[in-house]
Amino acid sequence: MNRTQLEYTLRVRVPILIFVAIASITVTYFVSRPTREGIGYAPKQPIPFSHKLHAGIMRIDCAYCHIGVYRSRYAVVPPASTCMNCHTIAKRTAPPIIKLTKYYDEAKAIPWKRVDRLPQYVYFNHSFHVNAGIRCQECHGNVEDMNVIKQVSSFTMSACLDCHRNAVKRLPYIPNIKPGPTYCYACHR
Amino acid sequence: MSDSTKQNSEKGRYYWKSLKELHDDPSLAEAKANEFMSGVTDDFKLSSLSDVSRRKFLALLAASAAFAASGCSTYESKGEIIPYNKEPRGVIPGIPNYYASTCSGCKHACGTLITTQTGRPIKINGNNEHPVNKGKLCPRGEASILGLYDPERLRQPLRNTGHGFVPARWDNSNGAVIKALNAAASGGKEIAVVTKTVLSPTAKKVLDEFAAKYPTTKFYSYELVTDVNRNSAWKKCYGTDQYPLISWDKAKFILALEADFLAKDGNMVEQMRMYASTRNNENLKDFSRLVVAEAGMSLTGMNADTRLKLRPEEQSNFVMSLLNELIVKRNLSRFALDKEIASQLGSVSLEDFAKRNNIERSVLDNMVSYILKSKNAAIVYAGHRLPEPVHIAVNLLNEVIGGTALYRTDQARVQLLPYSTPQDFEGLISRMNSGKVGVVIHYETNPVFHFAPDFGYKEAMVRVPTSVTLGKWENETSVWSSWVMPINHDLESWNDFKNRTGLYSLQQPVIYPLYTTRQKEAIVLTWTTGSDDAYHDTMYHEYLKNRWQNEVYSDLKPAVDPKMFWYSALEDGVVTYDEKPEASGNFNVEAFKSVTPPPMPEGFSIMLDESYAIGDGEFANNGWLQELPQPVTKAVWDNYASISDATAKELGVDYNDIIEVRIGDRSQKLPVYVQPGMADKVVCVDLGYGRTKAGKVGTDVGFDTNVLLSKKPSLSQWLYTGGEAVKKAGSYLIVTTMEHDFISEPITRDMPFTRDIIHEGTVEEYEQNPRFIQQETAIDKPTTIYKKFEYEGVKWGMSIDLNKCTGCSACVISCEVENNTPVVGKDQVKVSREMAWLRIDRYYTGSVAEPMISFQPMLCQQCDDAPCENVCPVAATTHSPDGLNMMVYNRCIGTRYCSNNCPYKVRRFNFFNYRYKFDGGYYAREPVEMVNNPEVTVRSRGVMEKCTFCIQRIMFGRQEAQQNGKPFTGAGIVTACQEACPANAITFGNYLDSSQEIAKLRDHPLGYYVLEELDTRPNVTYLAKLRNI
Repeated sequence: MNRTQLEYTLRVRVPILIFVAIASITVTYFVSRPTREGIGYAPKQPIPFSHKLHAGIMRIDCAYCHIGVYRSRYAVVPPASTCMNCHTIAKRTAPPIIKLTKYYDEAKAIPWKRVDRLPQYVYFNHSFHVNAGIRCQECHGNVEDMNVIKQVSSFTMSACLDCHRNAVKRLPYIPNIKPGPTYCYACHR
Repeated sequence: MSDSTKQNSEKGRYYWKSLKELHDDPSLAEAKANEFMSGVTDDFKLSSLSDVSRRKFLALLAASAAFAASGCSTYESKGEIIPYNKEPRGVIPGIPNYYASTCSGCKHACGTLITTQTGRPIKINGNNEHPVNKGKLCPRGEASILGLYDPERLRQPLRNTGHGFVPARWDNSNGAVIKALNAAASGGKEIAVVTKTVLSPTAKKVLDEFAAKYPTTKFYSYELVTDVNRNSAWKKCYGTDQYPLISWDKAKFILALEADFLAKDGNMVEQMRMYASTRNNENLKDFSRLVVAEAGMSLTGMNADTRLKLRPEEQSNFVMSLLNELIVKRNLSRFALDKEIASQLGSVSLEDFAKRNNIERSVLDNMVSYILKSKNAAIVYAGHRLPEPVHIAVNLLNEVIGGTALYRTDQARVQLLPYSTPQDFEGLISRMNSGKVGVVIHYETNPVFHFAPDFGYKEAMVRVPTSVTLGKWENETSVWSSWVMPINHDLESWNDFKNRTGLYSLQQPVIYPLYTTRQKEAIVLTWTTGSDDAYHDTMYHEYLKNRWQNEVYSDLKPAVDPKMFWYSALEDGVVTYDEKPEASGNFNVEAFKSVTPPPMPEGFSIMLDESYAIGDGEFANNGWLQELPQPVTKAVWDNYASISDATAKELGVDYNDIIEVRIGDRSQKLPVYVQPGMADKVVCVDLGYGRTKAGKVGTDVGFDTNVLLSKKPSLSQWLYTGGEAVKKAGSYLIVTTMEHDFISEPITRDMPFTRDIIHEGTVEEYEQNPRFIQQETAIDKPTTIYKKFEYEGVKWGMSIDLNKCTGCSACVISCEVENNTPVVGKDQVKVSREMAWLRIDRYYTGSVAEPMISFQPMLCQQCDDAPCENVCPVAATTHSPDGLNMMVYNRCIGTRYCSNNCPYKVRRFNFFNYRYKFDGGYYAREPVEMVNNPEVTVRSRGVMEKCTFCIQRIMFGRQEAQQNGKPFTGAGIVTACQEACPANAITFGNYLDSSQEIAKLRDHPLGYYVLEELDTRPNVTYLAKLRNI
């Protein structure tokens, strides 16, 4: 290897290689971030339930089905019996409703696919947030426009803290909102 | 520590946790200096690793990664959410439901309040509405929830083929039993039903109907330790069956003779609450004085103001001498005129008694004058193991000193089925042997284990053609039975209980039976109907409801309709009504005149008693209870022979050496535990251990000491005189927690001033100078250059009143159940790896022969300047704005620096995933994980943990306050330990809110902080103990 070749390698090839490596890692990190955090995840549900139809067009209140949301840590996915409040009469012949009725009659639980998930060591509390006047859409997106429910926000600790720290800016529609707690026991125990 | 510094301690008192510490054992210096025992943290040996080669390891790694990748259909999948199909009314995930019920763990039937989360019971507390236990529960009751989820519970009936058991169906087994019952009844052969105390009037009715259907039925009832002697003495003296209840809360002087009324004698929860209410430092006028005369060291003895060492044989003399002093010498009471009594008492005197037992005369004189001072508020209480004559003499003594004023007339005990006498059982066994018994039914009993071997129960039982054992687990009796039938747990059962006048306590199921078990009453009902077809799920439920509608409702005539009455009774768990106990007659002097002087003590006295934690062995398969440090000895997972230091020296033995205890021809080898403060030549042994068929946890734990029992009582059925103790070769390790977690000298050595960890004084000192323990001036106290953090709104604090704390350890179990604490096993406790967040430290002071005892519950002090926080390299432990020292498991990497830096030694490290480690993964088996509190993380291997002041309860309180739109003040939040404490010694709350009790207690003159000199500024205030000497 002669001198000029070595110089060319050191001065051009190596920096370009390093640049390409760093650039591709950086780009991949940011581009794949939503996927890694599950944004856009919209699994096929056992019954093609449409939030757009129920919550959007028919304007059924979220808490009609998610009964725990004002009172409990969990918003609660409704039991089949809640669906049957209407569907014993409504749309009885539609194939999804026939499937639903079958689940109900056989006393089986509907295995809904989980869309939004926090790690088990997070003790997130729905009631705290909803009772403070925070709209469901802040985290769950415009569910009333979704035919298939999907994840729209990132459920990472930094996303939580971002809102907890900047509540005034993020939630301008709530008068006198105070920043959320940021100490560990607020979410972990 | 040198002897001179021992004397330099406050008031010249030196507190020691064990004999090793008192005698400056060099091994302890190391234990004190090091956070972890030697070998505990560096037992990583290369040779112990598997010899899989590197290549093979990589191959396995790749293969498992490939499997894992192919196992996930899509890496995005987050699993499923399974909702209910039909939602049960009132159940919302995340919000607990509470049901009132009754504990049937022992014969006291305390009211319980059971917490369930989405339909699964996770905690048992006391029911606040229940007039007897008033919201509190004993350790056994608290821990009994683990029994529901015990993986080894029987799940279906078993048939004995002669070569082992095979699963059977209910219809076949009931069919066979019913056939045998019919054959026995028509053949004139006895059907024997052996039961424990029958507590339920409805169950009694079921049994009576059974006896009506099968007329040759006879009932036998027993408990391992009963109060038959006390009751029979009462009957001779007053003519009624039951010894009355005592108003402990009104007592100003209590003389307990071998009576462990704070633990094993009577309903400890009720008695402790009443007793502790007399130890209120706000009310010195009614401050009680407790004198205990006993041979062993009991929990009650440990709480005594004055403790006399007395062999059980001498108890009678003691009472007689006191009677002589009061009746003959001081001419007290109407009995002074009775010449016969005077001559009967003539042979004894307090002087002789004091001389013979090496008791200072002044102590006794002091006691007598105190008795006379507290007229009508002094009580002498003899322990249930003492023989009948002592009880008769004590009844007379209470007549003389006015102790009768403390007998409760508002309520009395009720016994539905009297206990059988040893003669009854001898009759049964001889009939069994001669083939006159057709069927024997063990109604949740275990006589093969419990009965004295000289009864020969097992040999007789196997001659009975059909033997049926009903039980939740296999036991020593079931393995010899022809049929074993699994029964429901308490939490799956319906029942009513009545063991007091004017009180019904209801039991309702909180979960559908987990297995194909049936309630034992329903099994008997099925037999009564004569066909298994009659059985249905709600059989006993309906029976109970009908009896309540037809009998109880018409008896009580409440102002509501029957349905309303039943449901409100279920909701409250109790029904109280006006029922006066049978009035007792006047004292019958003749009963006393028949009392003869007892034998002089000779040889060794052997004293047997139920185990504090596992009772008569019923709870042997409960890891939480096995691992609960025995409140007196702090030993876990064992029983042993407790002897005094002098006796140990005389026998030439020390801790863990083996002695053989002999009574007549019966003997058992036991390891030695040298217990300070015991009377010499006395051996105290716990019963209930050494089970051979108790399940994986309880089998072969400790030694079977029931073999020392005899059908022929010596002093009484449980106290034997003239025994022997002989040194034998070998040793056996008793594991205790008493030398773990030292908080002492090395840490505070270089401090400008030191305060003792235990502070105490006498009532007199406190009266003279309420601030007597606050010796330091402000200058002494440590200062800091840092600005103090200003807390706003809420700041948590706890106060523990050492006056009330009796060391019963109910809080320890309650904490374990609430906070998902794993069982680690004896081998792990041995190396100081127990996981309880709350421990009760026990300190002795004084001499080995006559020590005084102080208890101190020790938990995370939630220091404002916590030493643990500064050293965590990953900030896994930090401080919250409401003053909690937070421990975040998901952040912890397990350096254990925090634990090393904690002066209170309250941090616990998960050296293993103990659920998998303990006993081959016993507590990882189905369905044990259902017992876990879903609001508390189940910690895994490699993380540190500690008391959180029940953060889950605080958060639930915050949630409720916010939902109701109220500012959060922290009022009404109760920690698990506080909830359990029968003595109400623990107070918790927000001390920035001046309306809360804790705010007052923070500045109490008796309040102090442990290791205050380190300026950690703890948030647990200890209120110093006052002794009424």
